[in-house]
Amino acid sequence: MNAAFSFGSYYQGDSPIHRLDPRTKLLAGIALIAAALLARDFAGLAVVAAFVAGFYAMARIPLGSAARSIAPLLAIVVLASIFNLFFVQGGEVLFQWWIVRISEAGVYSCGFIASRLFLMMAGMSLVTMTTTTLDLTEAFERLLAPLARIGLPAHELGMILGIALRFMPQFADELVAVYRAQISRGAGFANSPSRGMRMLSSLVVPLFSSAFRRAETLAAAMDARCYHGADGRTRLHPLAFGARDAAAAGVMAALVALAACAHLIL
Amino acid sequence: MIDCEHMSFTYDGKRFVLSDVSIRIAQGEFVCILGGNGSGKSTFAKHINALLVPDEGTMTVDGMDTADEESLYAIRSTAGMVFQNPDDQLVASLVEDDVAFGPENMGVETSEIARRVREALAEVGLMGFETHETNALSGGQKQRVAIAGALAMEPKILILDEASSMLDPRGRRGLMRVCKALHERGMTVVAITHFMEEAAEADRVVVLDGGRVALDGTPADVLVQTDKLAHLNLEVPFACELSERLRSEGVDVPACIRERDLAHAIADRAEGRAAQAPIAHDGSTAHESGAAGAGGEEPVIAFEHVSHTYLDSSKARKNRGKKGGKTAAWGNDPNAVWALHDIHFAIRPGEFVGIAGHTGSGKSTLIQHMNGILKPTEGRVLVCGRDIADKKEATAARAKVGVVFQYPERQLFAATVYDDVAFGPRNLGLSADEVDKRVASSLALVGLDREAIGDASPFELSGGQQRRVAFAGVLAMDPEVLVLDEPTAGLDPAARKEFLELVAGLHAEAGLTVVMVSHSMDDLAALCQRIVVLKEGEMFASGTPREVFALNAELDAVGLGLPAARRMALALRDLGMPEAFSGFYTEDELVAGIVSACKGGAR
Repeated sequence: MNAAFSFGSYYQGDSPIHRLDPRTKLLAGIALIAAALLARDFAGLAVVAAFVAGFYAMARIPLGSAARSIAPLLAIVVLASIFNLFFVQGGEVLFQWWIVRISEAGVYSCGFIASRLFLMMAGMSLVTMTTTTLDLTEAFERLLAPLARIGLPAHELGMILGIALRFMPQFADELVAVYRAQISRGAGFANSPSRGMRMLSSLVVPLFSSAFRRAETLAAAMDARCYHGADGRTRLHPLAFGARDAAAAGVMAALVALAACAHLIL
Repeated sequence: MIDCEHMSFTYDGKRFVLSDVSIRIAQGEFVCILGGNGSGKSTFAKHINALLVPDEGTMTVDGMDTADEESLYAIRSTAGMVFQNPDDQLVASLVEDDVAFGPENMGVETSEIARRVREALAEVGLMGFETHETNALSGGQKQRVAIAGALAMEPKILILDEASSMLDPRGRRGLMRVCKALHERGMTVVAITHFMEEAAEADRVVVLDGGRVALDGTPADVLVQTDKLAHLNLEVPFACELSERLRSEGVDVPACIRERDLAHAIADRAEGRAAQAPIAHDGSTAHESGAAGAGGEEPVIAFEHVSHTYLDSSKARKNRGKKGGKTAAWGNDPNAVWALHDIHFAIRPGEFVGIAGHTGSGKSTLIQHMNGILKPTEGRVLVCGRDIADKKEATAARAKVGVVFQYPERQLFAATVYDDVAFGPRNLGLSADEVDKRVASSLALVGLDREAIGDASPFELSGGQQRRVAFAGVLAMDPEVLVLDEPTAGLDPAARKEFLELVAGLHAEAGLTVVMVSHSMDDLAALCQRIVVLKEGEMFASGTPREVFALNAELDAVGLGLPAARRMALALRDLGMPEAFSGFYTEDELVAGIVSACKGGAR
């Protein structure tokens, strides 16, 4: 029901990728993005794509689940590539009509941007699909920890991220429910701007009031379970780097290097 | 274990929510705290684990004063708490991480946390759920995870703050079973509730009213005080109510709080007389004839072999053959293809149709087909004879079929009650005069006065009033059919009764066709002319209440249970009362039957 928010939702498994330290995965995800950004041509992207496909295979995530996870964000890919199609000019003009002109360079950059964005999303989606939210927030928190010394509330930021991720599907469901209730009362975006505004507020106000209500009980529930910040907190699954993580780090370093100089080799 | 001496508390410094409350709870007790809305029962619960600290008097838990900051975490780990809403209290996305949250905060060692998580999950019957996502669980299971989360802190006291009020009967039973098992192993349990069946199982019942202790004693002493309980806006357990009624009819039975005891008492009285007093089975036929009489008219809503899937439809058709044999033991099977499958029935003008089914049986999906919010994957839905698959027809259907969703007060959004109720009519493009008329009349229908309340913000109203305003918002569309999804969910007994009366009035006096989804078989038995039972998206049964409730054990198997009166009638039949008892399902029938069975010899 909440297809719009299924991006990167956890896919249960016990693959080598699942068992990596979340910090490694988070950094690897960032490295993957860096590699995709560093790649200057399709050859570079091909290298990245090969790695991404390899990782997906290793994580044993079925193609369907992977596609479902990325699908909601494809709109961004499409938008960005269309933008490039029309605005990047150069080379032979393939098509011209009124002020619309599509050139060779436009087509090239459209395809390139689309592939690059797609790879970046696929990479990040893999990280979140193989990592539980609590692990993810812990990793986030630990990676920020050095910054805590200069006053950055690393633990709190991690907790906020975790709670946000935990409540996302719930709010999505709630939005759907409120939307359906309001269209049952004849609401719609169509016709006039004033009606559209009314429709919008009829969705946003209930959602906000629900968020506040939930925040209040959640805070009490956390208090009741002795939550008091990072102080003396232990973990059910403490994070620990292992040989696997070193291997992964090596692979990622190789990937970034390869992607960066792929156009030299190929 | 819990020592509360002359405790008073106020949120705003003006009005005392608790005043001079003294309650002592011994180790190993199972105490139920009852009270209507605003009686201070939840506030009391929050004092036990130091979420709140008394303004006057003291609260001591296991020898520790809750006002003492030093022992704050010791108190909170001694008194674990489970809250009302299953969706708001789970912190983590995975079950094991959530259960581990408490001990993690307490700084327990990793290996010890793992052991505690395992054991806590075993205690609530959720072994093997460690890596399940909390979002995918049913409400009852979420509450059990919350209990496990409290247990993982190894508490001596478990506090349940209306933990069962948002669950369906099956979830409630599961929760109660877990609590009783924990209690038997020595846990002190404090349960805040407004369900009398739960209170009847406790060692002790404390009734709060207006922040003071009104009654305190064993269930047998407290729950039989029917007059007092009614005065305090509480309902009376079915057995108490029935025994009271029987006594007033001249059948001498003791006041019982457990149905089992009452059944035996009645059977004893009737012994030997049953043979002499054959009971004419004259069960009121008004309901049935009402439904049959309308048979000739054109249905307002007709479902023609409707199936619905949330998956892509072409895929669903392909997978169609795969259904069967593969059903989840709980909640929605994520792999189940059909949310609804081959639903075929019609609702005639003026009918009152009930829709029953366990959580995840497709009830909500079904009613969303009635005004075209969801479209059938296969089959057709006709409203007043027109297929509403078409967008235009769906829009027209929405003016005819008003749907009140679950917890409708959550959809309130406007600055004033007037504007909120006017939202629907304005969307219909009506003139200001007409809108004004509609608002006034629909507010009047739900028992609110436009003059008195029209300019108030809906968010300042009480919960019950908010729900009335939300009802009015749908009624202002001037629908012919009113569809209600669990209209009494989460209300206390007094408000529940008011709402059922309101719904009955809308059907009887305002002449609306009503479709009501409920998992309370008592409510359905009392109001409906016809009941449709769903099971895993398919029509399991459909017919008059008498026909449907005749299914007895089958209904139990789909997690629905039977109305209390019918349960009692069957228990009596099993104890040797006349066979005619197996046909009863309303309280009136039952009382008449018992009276004639017990007095038959004397007449």
